[in-house]
Amino acid sequence: MPDNISLLAVFSDIAPAADAIDQLRVLGLSDDQMNVISGIPVTEAMLGRPDQWTNVPGLALGGAVLGFLGGAFLAFVAPYLYPQPIQVGPHAIVPGPPTFIMLFELTMLGMLLSTFLGVFLDSYFPNYRPMEYVKEVSDGKIAVFFLCPNESREKFTNAMSALGAEKVEVAEVEHL
Amino acid sequence: MAENNKHAHNSEGYFREKHLMLDPLPRGQMNAMAMEAMHHSTWKFWTVFAILCVIVAYCLVYSWIKMILEGLGIAGVNRPAYWGVFLVNTVFWIGISHAGTFISAILRVFKAEFRRPFTRAAELMTTFGLVQAGFSIFMHLGRIWLFYWLMPYPNQRMLWPNMHSPLSWDLLAITTYLLSSTMYLFLPLIPDLAMARDRSTGWRKIFYRILALGFRGTEGEWTHLRNAMTIFAFAIIPVMFSVHTIVSWDFASATRPGWNSTIFGPYFIVGALHSGMGAVVMVLAIVRSTMKNMKYFIRPEHFDGIGKLMLIISMAWAYFFFNDYIVQWYGGDKWTHLLLHFHEAGPMGWMWFAMLICNIAVPWALLWNARWRAMPWVTFAVGLSINIGMWFERYIIIPISLTINRMPFTWRMYQPGVEIPLGIGTLALFILLYMSASKLIPLIPVWEVEEGQMVHELKKFGRETVVSVSDLE
Amino acid sequence: MATETKPSETNSSAEHIGKWGMVIDQDLCTGCQACVAACAMENNISFVGEEDSGYGRSMHWIRIERFWEGVYPEIKMTPNQPMLCQQCLSAPCEPVCPAYATVHSLAEHINLQVYNRCVGTRYCGNNCPYQMRSFNWRDYERPKPLDNQLNPDVTVRQRGVMEKCTFCIQRINKAEDAAKAEGREIADGEFTTACAQVCPANAIVFGRTDNPESFVSQLARIHGHGVKHLEELGTLPNVTYFKGG
Repeated sequence: MPDNISLLAVFSDIAPAADAIDQLRVLGLSDDQMNVISGIPVTEAMLGRPDQWTNVPGLALGGAVLGFLGGAFLAFVAPYLYPQPIQVGPHAIVPGPPTFIMLFELTMLGMLLSTFLGVFLDSYFPNYRPMEYVKEVSDGKIAVFFLCPNESREKFTNAMSALGAEKVEVAEVEHL
Repeated sequence: MAENNKHAHNSEGYFREKHLMLDPLPRGQMNAMAMEAMHHSTWKFWTVFAILCVIVAYCLVYSWIKMILEGLGIAGVNRPAYWGVFLVNTVFWIGISHAGTFISAILRVFKAEFRRPFTRAAELMTTFGLVQAGFSIFMHLGRIWLFYWLMPYPNQRMLWPNMHSPLSWDLLAITTYLLSSTMYLFLPLIPDLAMARDRSTGWRKIFYRILALGFRGTEGEWTHLRNAMTIFAFAIIPVMFSVHTIVSWDFASATRPGWNSTIFGPYFIVGALHSGMGAVVMVLAIVRSTMKNMKYFIRPEHFDGIGKLMLIISMAWAYFFFNDYIVQWYGGDKWTHLLLHFHEAGPMGWMWFAMLICNIAVPWALLWNARWRAMPWVTFAVGLSINIGMWFERYIIIPISLTINRMPFTWRMYQPGVEIPLGIGTLALFILLYMSASKLIPLIPVWEVEEGQMVHELKKFGRETVVSVSDLE
Repeated sequence: MATETKPSETNSSAEHIGKWGMVIDQDLCTGCQACVAACAMENNISFVGEEDSGYGRSMHWIRIERFWEGVYPEIKMTPNQPMLCQQCLSAPCEPVCPAYATVHSLAEHINLQVYNRCVGTRYCGNNCPYQMRSFNWRDYERPKPLDNQLNPDVTVRQRGVMEKCTFCIQRINKAEDAAKAEGREIADGEFTTACAQVCPANAIVFGRTDNPESFVSQLARIHGHGVKHLEELGTLPNVTYFKGG
C-alpha cells in the first residue's frame, strides 16, 4: 500500500527492544506487522512476542519413520530379492541382532537428515532474493522492522528514539 | 596477575582475566577479531602449508596410486595379520573424531559453559578426522575400484551388500556419523557465515553469501535453527556411541583369541574419547599460539576444563583395559594366555608397556594438578602422549593380536610397509584441511560466545564473589 | 541317499553331515608335499616367490604343517598335519564378508568363494580359525611357457581377491554334469580332488559323506579316533583327521 512505510529501529539490548515492541502495539500495530531480526537468539518470550511456529520436530519424526522403513527394507526385503536367498554361516536369512543395528542407524540418519532439511524448508533457505536487513544485526544488535502509515513516521521515529534506539531509518531491501 | 587463591577477595579483574564468559567485549569487536584471525597469515603459515602439500602429494597421492596399481603386496599385511596399520589408522581417526561430538553435543546437553569457544574447532576435527578414516579404510581394500559394491543401491543384478557383516554396519554407522556431524558443524556456523558475509568483500563475500543461505536472524530462522541444534545435540550422542561400538564389533564379532571380548564396545568408546580429547587439546594449543586474537577466546581455563575430562577419561580407560585384561588372564583359554604373553613379552612388548605409560602414567602424573592443567603446553604434551599411547593400543589390538591364532604354524610378525607413508599422508592431509578451514571460516562461534557472556555474571554471596550462570533454555 | 542338512542347526555334530567330505590320515602322511604341488597345478595358483612366502604370503590352498617335540638333538617328530579349507557347515568366514563373496552352497554343502564379488576386505581371512585363506597380494608373474600349464576349467585370480580350497569344485561340477546327463547319481570314486588323487601314501580320501557306503564314510567308521580340528568352535568342519593310531 503506497502510504505504508517500512521502518527499522536498532537496539543494542533486550529490555529496550521489548519496551519498543510494547510501544509499537500501543501505537496501533499488530504483531504480524512487526519483524525482529537479531544477532543472537533472543527468544520470543524475552521480547513479549507470540510464539514462533516450527515444523522441525515434526519433520524430524517423519524422517525417522522414513529411515526406519529404509532399514526395514535392507533387513527384511533385500535378502529375498536374490533368486535364491544366500546362506552365510549359521545365520538365518534375516539375522536377529544385525537387524537392530540396521534399523537404528538408518532411523537416526533419516531423523538427522530431515532435521537438517527441515531447517532449510522452514526458513526458505537458500534465500538469495533481496530482503530487509541491516548489517548491524550481525554485530549483536536487535533490529525491529515495522510497517507503519507514512504520515505517522515522525511519531514512530520519536517513540523509538525515546526508548533508546541507536538508529531509526527506512528499511531497505538489500542483497544478502 | 592475580594469584590462584580461592580464598582471596578476588577482584573483578581477576575474574575477567580468568573467564572468557566474564570478560565480554562488544560483539562487533569480537566479530572483527574472528575475521582478523581468518585473514591474517604469515610466511610461516604458508611455508608449513607448502610442506604439507608436498607430503600429501608424495605420501598420500603417489603412494596410494602405486599401491592400487601394484596390489597390497607393498603393504605389510600377510597371513595371519590380514589387517594392519590401515585398520589401526581407521580406528585412530574415528576415535579422534569422537572428541568433536563429545564437546559440541555432550557438553552442550550438560550445559558445560566452558565449551563455548571451541565447539567449532572440535567439530572440524570430527569432520576432517572422519575423512581420514574413510581414506584409511578404503586403502585397505584389495580391489578398491569396486568399493561401491559395498553400498546398498538397486542394480541390474539385484545384488545387495551382506548386512550380516560388521563391515556393512560400519558403512551405515560411519556414513550416518559423517553426514550428521557435518550437518551439526554447519548449522551453528550459519549465523557466523552471515556475519562474515556482512564484513567481507570480493571473492570472500561471494563465498560467504552462498554458504550463509540468506540468513538474517529473524525469529523464525533462529527458532528453526535452535530447535534443530537441540535435536542434533541429543540425537548425535547415541549415534556417536553406536559408531565406535560398531567399529569395535569388527573385532569383537570375530573368532580370534583376544578379539572375541564382550567389553570391546564400551572399551573402544572410552578409548576414542581418550585420544579425541588429547587431540582437541593439541589443536587448541596450536591454534591459540599461532592464530591472531585466539588468546582472548581460548584461555587457560579451557585447558583446565578439558584437562579434568582427560584425567577422568584416562581413569575410565584404565578401568576398561584392566577389566579386559584380568578376565583373559584369569579364565582365558590357552590361546588367550599365549596371546597375553606375546603382548607383554614378545618382540613388541615395549609397545605394550609404552601404551600403559602414555595412556595412564603420564596423564595421572600431570593432570591432577590444577595449575599444570591450565598450562596449554603441559596439556598439549599429555595429549600427544595419549595419542601415541592410543595408536599403540590399536596396533596391539590389530596386527599384534592377529599374529597369535589357533594355528601356530601360521604365526608371522607383521612389519608395516607402505602403510607408514600413507598414514603420514593422512595426518598431513588432516592438518592441511584444518589449516585451510581456519582461513576460510571463523573458527570461533562468536554468537555462542556472546550468548554465553550474556548469561554469566558475578554475584556476591556475603563477602564472596562467585560466578553465576542463568539458564535460558 | 543324500540327506539335506540345514547349516543353521547347531549342536550334536553327529547329525551334521554335509555332502562332500575328506578323511586325512596324519599317520600315513609323509610330508612329501605332492598334494600341495598337485593343488597348485590344478587350481592355477600363483607362484609367490621365496621372499613373499617367507613373510607369510604363500598362496597354497593346502599346506603340510609339521611340528616337533623337544629341543635339538632330542627331537621327536609328531605326525604331519595337512591343513586345508575345512568347508565348514557353519563357516565363520561366511557372515563377515560385506559383499557376499563367500557363501554357503546349498546344493553341495561346501563353502564357496566368488572371485567376481570379492572386494578384498580380508575379514574372512581373519575369521577363519584354520587360517586357510590365501589372498592375492600382488599380480604374480607367470613367465612363458608356464602359462601353458594353466587349467582351463579354473579361472585365474586378479590381485586383491581372496581365494581358498574349493574341494576342486570344477571336478565336482564336471562329474555332476556327466552324471545328470546320464540320468544317474555320482558313483563313489568316479572322481576325486587333485590332492587326494596324487597322494602316494593314500593319506587323503575324498567322497560323499552323506552316503554311509562311500569309502570316505566307511573309513570314518572304521577308524575310531577321528578328530575334527578346533571342533569346540562349532564350525562343523567337513574334514576328519586320524592320528595316533
